Amino acid sequence: MLETVAQAVINGLLIGGIYALVSIGVTLIFGVVKIVNFAQGEFVMIGMYITFFLFNSLGIDPLLSLFVSMPVLFVLGALIQHFLIRRVLGPNDMPQIFLTFALSLLLLNLSLLLFSANYRTVHTFYSDEAIHLGGLYIPVAKLIAFVVAMGLSGALWVFLHTTDLGKAMRAAAQNRDVATLMGINPNRVFAVAFGAALALAGAAGSLLMPFYSAYPFVGQVFVLMAFVAVVLGTLGNVVGALVASLMMGVAESLGIQFVGADSGLIVVFAMLLLTLAFKPTGLGGGRVR
Amino acid sequence: MTKAREQFAPPQKTVSLPSSSQRPSRRKFLKNAGRAIAAGVASAVPLRGYAADLVNIGALYPTTGSMAQIGVGCVTAAKLAVEMINEAGGIKSLGGAKLNLITSDVQSDTTVTRTETDRLISSNKLSAIHGCFASALTLIASEVCERAKVPIITGSSSDQLNKGRTYTFTPFARASQFAKAQLQMSKLVSEQPKVAVIFENTAFGTATSNGLKELAPGEGVEIVMFEPYSAGFTDASPLINKVKASGANALFSVSYLNDLILIVRTVKQVGLNIAINGGSGGFVIPDFYKNVGKLAEGLQGVAHWNHDMDDNAQKVNAEYKKRAGEFLFEYAGGLVAQTYMIADALERAGSADPQKVREALSTLDVSTGFAAMAPGGRVKFGPDGKNIFGRPVGVQWQNGDLASVFPKDDARAPLIKS
Repeated sequence: MLETVAQAVINGLLIGGIYALVSIGVTLIFGVVKIVNFAQGEFVMIGMYITFFLFNSLGIDPLLSLFVSMPVLFVLGALIQHFLIRRVLGPNDMPQIFLTFALSLLLLNLSLLLFSANYRTVHTFYSDEAIHLGGLYIPVAKLIAFVVAMGLSGALWVFLHTTDLGKAMRAAAQNRDVATLMGINPNRVFAVAFGAALALAGAAGSLLMPFYSAYPFVGQVFVLMAFVAVVLGTLGNVVGALVASLMMGVAESLGIQFVGADSGLIVVFAMLLLTLAFKPTGLGGGRVR
Repeated sequence: MTKAREQFAPPQKTVSLPSSSQRPSRRKFLKNAGRAIAAGVASAVPLRGYAADLVNIGALYPTTGSMAQIGVGCVTAAKLAVEMINEAGGIKSLGGAKLNLITSDVQSDTTVTRTETDRLISSNKLSAIHGCFASALTLIASEVCERAKVPIITGSSSDQLNKGRTYTFTPFARASQFAKAQLQMSKLVSEQPKVAVIFENTAFGTATSNGLKELAPGEGVEIVMFEPYSAGFTDASPLINKVKASGANALFSVSYLNDLILIVRTVKQVGLNIAINGGSGGFVIPDFYKNVGKLAEGLQGVAHWNHDMDDNAQKVNAEYKKRAGEFLFEYAGGLVAQTYMIADALERAGSADPQKVREALSTLDVSTGFAAMAPGGRVKFGPDGKNIFGRPVGVQWQNGDLASVFPKDDARAPLIKS
């Protein structure tokens, strides 16, 4: 029994690490740029395809392709912010919602057109390996993904708290107008935030590839969890999103284990509703950090 | 006006058969073009009796959306079947009338399936329809066809398709029969089979697994775990964790491709030594092996059709392989036979009228040729639209190919015990 619980918690934490990368991106964009990026899942998908094609044609290990997928998506993010998002920022939310939603549909159908609906899988030497500890097992690919995800989240936290640019981002997140008055260039800050968020999505894609299949709709699976995590952990709160993602991974895993394999999401959403009922601002207590 | 239409009709026939490998936009354009032309031809027919040279067959498959990959293969096979029939002279009793395939994309979505089926029927004069791969979609399409009184012939396995319907025909094994075959196969592996059943919570998954549960005691098989899961999950570990705890020595997974890949990989990671029977669906298509690779070797499944069954099947398989680059998978192979069944019915009905085609289908009895290309070797529908000779074939992945291994009559290779 104890072993089963421990295994469920391990499974949950490992997948929660991936949810975290996606949800931190969403929350970072919301916190800084103040828009909801509905296309975040599609950037995970792009990260996966980059990783797949690098592996398939050049034999580059998915972990090494992090060094390609992250910069590529960072640049893509900065460009999207500069040429698209910047133009719809204003008092009205609707154009922003339509823009990111349209972006999501565009990328989905574009990938369907270019890559077809086939499932693409990468098979590395560690894809099917697992570390066995007593009666427990830890899949290697997922462990690597988790460790890198936590490392990247930590790096983002350090960046936000110690560098001038990071501090400027947090300042812009807390009060855009005052930040602008203090001499912070919002466009530059927004471009970096959007780029960083997409780089995280790209990283999630690369890290997923050794154990999950890439297909045009793959982003939708993860973006739903990310949105729940973002709300649960207070919109705009990076640490909140991280904690909420891990909690959701564990809740889902325990739900599958003890309620039923088709009820994993029920537990997750019950957790969300209860949190919102008693703490409407989310676990982060409404603070943006 | 009428004359002009007739003059334009012949060259357009070829346009109405778009090829599947093309991009969706182009396909859609061609499809719409085909539909418009077909509608024009159909409306021209009553005015001049002799112009009845096209028989419209509707094909409903999900060529976009999550099931697109299988849907596209189905459309390729559907076109191949129509071409084969047309090249052999079309429907002789209708003066060599050619079949005209009108495909429609049901987008892997039940709402779209309803509207698309409606639209296909109301905007074309159809003699029969086949589709739609997923049982959830076929159930909807079948309802629409029943109301519109157009016969639909399908390889979908849900037993619900045989309840209270008069225009729905199912020439292949039913979900409940699949279950029986799977249970019998588990006894080939172990004398005391303890089976864990995991299934996606859809019409297909529920129908198949309920069949397993009901039949297990009669087959002397113990089910130690019975668990639905949400299709499209991110992580199979908790589920496999449960399988491990159940102490099962055989695992029946009723899943589509993506989930199944995750499940097979996770079983390997856990280090669980268990005979996996993937059933049908995503398990018996070429992509499964491409994705799972060597891990797939020795995995078992059941299918309603397999490409190595008989000479005709091998012939069609060879032709399909040329076009699609992969072997002809279960559902697509089945619908080639289905097209021949429709052709046989048209031939005997001597009419393209859907009511008469339905009558002819209900009295169909074939045991030779492409129409009889089914496990069991004979097709004759009972009053519930079920082929009374239909049965599933047990298959196993061997050296990257899907070999028929069960029952003895259909086996083309021995079962490899891993």
